[in-house]
Amino acid sequence: MATERMQVLTKGFFKENPVFIILLGLCPTLGVTTQVINGIGMGLSVIFVLVFSNIFISMLKNIIPNSVRIPSYIVIIAAFVTIVEMVMHAFAPSIYQALGIFLPLIVVNCIILGRAEAFANKNTVFDSFLDGVGMGVGFTMALTLIAFIREVFGAGTITLVPMGSFDGVIEIPLFYTYPVRVLTLAAGALLLMGYLKAFFEWNANRKRG
Amino acid sequence: MRQFARVGITLSLIAAIAATALAMVNAVTAPKIAAYELQVIQNALTEVSGGFALGDSDTETGDTSVSAVHALKDTDGSIAGYILQLNGVGYGGAMTIMASYLDTGEVIDARLLANAETPGLGKKAEVPAYMEKFHGTGGDTAVPQKKDALEKSDADSISGATVTFAGVAKSIAYGSDFVKSLGGK
Repeated sequence: MATERMQVLTKGFFKENPVFIILLGLCPTLGVTTQVINGIGMGLSVIFVLVFSNIFISMLKNIIPNSVRIPSYIVIIAAFVTIVEMVMHAFAPSIYQALGIFLPLIVVNCIILGRAEAFANKNTVFDSFLDGVGMGVGFTMALTLIAFIREVFGAGTITLVPMGSFDGVIEIPLFYTYPVRVLTLAAGALLLMGYLKAFFEWNANRKRG
Repeated sequence: MRQFARVGITLSLIAAIAATALAMVNAVTAPKIAAYELQVIQNALTEVSGGFALGDSDTETGDTSVSAVHALKDTDGSIAGYILQLNGVGYGGAMTIMASYLDTGEVIDARLLANAETPGLGKKAEVPAYMEKFHGTGGDTAVPQKKDALEKSDADSISGATVTFAGVAKSIAYGSDFVKSLGGK
């Protein structure tokens, strides 16, 4: 039982990674990953929405009539996204500005609705919680990895949260002077996504033998 | 009939609980958001003032494209120019632009404030250096509103976000004409 629960939690990290394996949520993945902090901010927002929407949908799965389950899921997901939006606008306005239109669009993020439909409405509240955490962490890891590569090679910086005298930006000497600019553009994001997808496919095939 | 009632009541309950939760979160966050928005406007006013002192403000402009006019005063107290809070339209919809002008309509500086432009593309217009292409225009030289009116390096900087550029440029040009119509009053 414990092993099964561990699998529910960890499958989203690599084996069923929502970005690299299932290919869900690609618009925000490619859109916001110009800076590391944006990737982390978007990832944390999705973790919050995914975990709470999974919990509530699992709790209400026997109450919500089957004929209106999708509108009900959308109302629940939209409520949590709006809460994230308001809290982020009030307490982390710079990340709120940077995420822009992609933040409200979490409502229609395929990962959230996909996990509600494929997992939360068929499983227990605790398993749905674990699934939400696992998929959310897998999504955050993917965004952070893509953002890290794009920002380091494309801009020669790593942008984090400013703290005290630290302005939040770490400059990488060689790439700051000679950045690979294409990586910061949409075309570069698609190219990088293709290489990473190929790597993860190769790795998955290697493990399957 | 009972089935319809059950569906209706369930959906209404879910919506009511969601609305209550949102109202509670809004009660906590709304004052902080309002204070932040005010701070952003104050910072932008200081940044684009070009060293002039801020004078009187007017939010009753009678023009839907200009939501506020702030006078800029010279050291002798005379009107040196204006800062306008402009409402523009970009790729993601409504945008707020703060632009300062000499009383001849010449652009001093500008900032893109609230917007829903695409991160990594149109959002680059939020960087102060983006507005350098408009500095000094609007008086003797026209405000550049098309890509081919820009220097090559400036034209490259708007690649992939020409709709944002067009929206910002159109607003700044409109602001310049608006300031000229004020005639230093």
